[in-house]
Amino acid sequence: MDDLLAEFVAETREMLAALAGEIVAWEADPADRHRLDTIFRFVHTVKGNCGFFDFPRLEALSHAAEDALADVRAGRRTADRKLVDMVLATIDRIGAMIEEIERGEPLSEAGDDALIAALSGSAGDAEIALEQVGGAAHAVSHASEQRTIRLPVELIDQVMSGVSEMVLARNDIARRLQLAGGDTGLEAPFSRLSALIAEVRDAITRTRMRRIEGLLTTFPRLVRDLSAELGKQVFVELENGEVELDREMIELIRDPLLHIIRNAVDHGIEPPADRRAAGKREAGMLTISARQTGNTIHIGIMDDGRGIDCDRLAAKAVAAGLRTDEQIAAMSREEKIELIFEAGLSTAESVTAISGRGVGMDVVRANIEKFGGTLEIESVAGEGTRFLICVPLTLSILPSLTVEAGGQTFAIPRSYVEEIVSTAGGTLEFAQVGERRFVTFRERRLACIQLGDALGLDEADEGAALFVILRLGWGDLYALAVDRIFDHQELVIKPLAPGIMRSGLFVGCTQMDDGTPVLVLDVAAIGYGAGIPRELHRPSGTTAATGKAVHMEDDSLRVVLFRALDGVRRAIAMSAVEQVERVEAAAITRPGANAQIVLGEDILPLAGVPDGAELPASLTILRLASGNERLAYAAREVLEIANVNGALEPVEGEAALAGVALIEGEPAELVDCHALFARRCAHSAVSRGLTCRLDGEDDWMRNFLGPIIEAAGYRIVAGNEEADIAFVDRPAAAAAEDEPGAAARRAIRLRDRPEAAGDAGDSIYRYDRAALMSALLRAGEELAA
Amino acid sequence: MTDMLLVVQLGGRRAAIPAERVNSVIELTGLTPVPRAPAHVAGLAALRSRPLTVIDCGASLELEERGEDDRTRRAVVVEHEGHLYGLLVDGADDIVAAAAEPTPLGADPGPGWSRIATGRVESEHGALLLIDIAALIDGPGERPERQAA
Repeated sequence: MDDLLAEFVAETREMLAALAGEIVAWEADPADRHRLDTIFRFVHTVKGNCGFFDFPRLEALSHAAEDALADVRAGRRTADRKLVDMVLATIDRIGAMIEEIERGEPLSEAGDDALIAALSGSAGDAEIALEQVGGAAHAVSHASEQRTIRLPVELIDQVMSGVSEMVLARNDIARRLQLAGGDTGLEAPFSRLSALIAEVRDAITRTRMRRIEGLLTTFPRLVRDLSAELGKQVFVELENGEVELDREMIELIRDPLLHIIRNAVDHGIEPPADRRAAGKREAGMLTISARQTGNTIHIGIMDDGRGIDCDRLAAKAVAAGLRTDEQIAAMSREEKIELIFEAGLSTAESVTAISGRGVGMDVVRANIEKFGGTLEIESVAGEGTRFLICVPLTLSILPSLTVEAGGQTFAIPRSYVEEIVSTAGGTLEFAQVGERRFVTFRERRLACIQLGDALGLDEADEGAALFVILRLGWGDLYALAVDRIFDHQELVIKPLAPGIMRSGLFVGCTQMDDGTPVLVLDVAAIGYGAGIPRELHRPSGTTAATGKAVHMEDDSLRVVLFRALDGVRRAIAMSAVEQVERVEAAAITRPGANAQIVLGEDILPLAGVPDGAELPASLTILRLASGNERLAYAAREVLEIANVNGALEPVEGEAALAGVALIEGEPAELVDCHALFARRCAHSAVSRGLTCRLDGEDDWMRNFLGPIIEAAGYRIVAGNEEADIAFVDRPAAAAAEDEPGAAARRAIRLRDRPEAAGDAGDSIYRYDRAALMSALLRAGEELAA
Repeated sequence: MTDMLLVVQLGGRRAAIPAERVNSVIELTGLTPVPRAPAHVAGLAALRSRPLTVIDCGASLELEERGEDDRTRRAVVVEHEGHLYGLLVDGADDIVAAAAEPTPLGADPGPGWSRIATGRVESEHGALLLIDIAALIDGPGERPERQAA
């Protein structure tokens, strides 16, 4: 089965399992809004996911349930016994369909039509529908009960290490077979055994691992809600290498992470007015990143807020009797910041609902340490705070890059590798500053470290031709010079003896296929050990500190400034950016004009990928949204959030660019969001140049309808201005007397119920997108003729 | 009950390792050197799929004269605090029964030896030094040498 489909089945089944309790609770109290919302979200998600696959029956059913629940939510319908039963039957039926999909069977007809009719309330008898569906649903509940079992983790560990041994034994046999040469008659059974072992190894690895993405992606929403509540603006950036973590560990770090993020939004990031006064952008930036190093996962949470006021912290410690004035006087700033981990200290002036009292950082750290992790904190007053959580990953497969230095082989965790560059192309520029060599990489000057030097091996040739560009947890980059680069490999990491760990250069060891041990480098320790600066800010962010006045004019356009794949500075309207994340290049299909990207469960069109461009191993993706349309824009990195208020210089022959603007004194190309989305909507051709007016219920029209009409190529005009087409949200009969639409050549009428009432035959249901678009297209064609 | 002892050759002397601590005795072939490791850590090898930290016992003892030889080396595999170690020895050939309970060292056996010996034990090979595996693994850097103070 297709991976995506398998994912869909697994996810839906998981949701069904989680929903079981909610359903029972809702049945007991149909007025429970919270349960209703949960169930609504479920059918909505199922419906949305169906769009990617060809399951019209499932889609129709979930759509019907969604409509019915939407009516209940809107108060147009009451959740009576019959409706509850029908919704429950629908959910059971969805479960049955999922089972059928998984088995690859065609979806059976089990009274869906009757159920849909009953749900819509227009016809049919619910009893009949329920009866027809009943049988199938019961069969499912038995099947799904037996699909999961609980296993002690130790048992899986044991199997895992057994499988690792099998892999090595297999490699040994492979070598011997090769030595024996000729036809031993063992090749075929051996290759079958090989494939089986690989399969078992994959399966057993997957049983424990889950992408950390699933946890991280819940945070943008949380931050949005929190910051709205606090009247702040916070922009979240997620950076996750393809880090996978023990399921168990994900559960364990959830709470500490939530706490730190809440703290950052509540106490770290200042209200917009304070930020403006401090010469910062109004919107705070919160970066959450995850990286894997050997047996450790590093999760960083960085904000650009006010930082920790260590003097106030110290004063509190004195007031609380935890330290004496003399002790404080002898403390460094770092030591004072460490006070935040003392029990009973909180710097917040007031206790808020969000961070609360109760749990302090001391508890958070204790909880992380309980499962063998560490929590570190760095903070610069006025500039921001960063937290680093390191948690162990006792058993992991580590995607690695193997390199050679001083005649020895080493492995580098792939999540750190930004790119591999070579001097062979002649594109690298070097500069010697004192004893340190720098290489210019994408307009940034990066310090070079010779791996051989760092390890005290025989000095390599100064003109080393190969560099691995490494990105450390905080976006700090450096170039590691190596003699050779071998291969990408999936390696099993084993812990090293303490005597070897003491050097701090390695995180573990692994074995090549022939059994030779290979050391895994701790690239962060090597980099920082060799004096790579720890930058709290990205270099581009330091412009704010140079004293340049930052104008915050009301009519300015807030943009996200980023470096595009071709290295050019570009900007895009912040309101269009929904989320920023880092992904592996493997998620991209068909690079070029029709590129697409797989993001979680979505497949989105991907803009910003030049034709024939070579993609870096991982890149930053800006998720853009406008109404229901979503697409992704590829970038190397996000630079900062800025305001554009100068004039735009048009760019000739570039349809996707609105123009070039000066941002922070440097030119940046402003992406034309309109053109981007317009290109996505194929039906834009005829209608260009026509105007459209939205009559009625302002918010919905502007926020929901407006973007798709604009994306279709219409210009929206305000108020009572004359327009080619008007969208009216009242049926003709009801609107006869107060009809202001005389100034439109065509009117498209909308109604807010799916079924047409007798007096509204010419209207279109407001969510019937297909009908809406075709009406718009028809009106456009008629006007153009 | 009598304790069994593995008799090993180290720097031309005989010494004993409690046999119950010994996992196996292997012939080491390849060895991966570890940069910036303590001098007595000879490198890494693998015992099936587990890493084996190889300890150069001569270096750990700080024996003055150690012949560098390229022949296959013999290592005593022990497990210590969850990690596998291979103790490089000049020879390991015999397992004998301890004739009596170990006794304190008595006279100083000489620098290096005094750090890694826990006592003396009688066997059919005569009196043998009983080796403290932890001290051997920790190496000379860890515990300051006992000096006449």
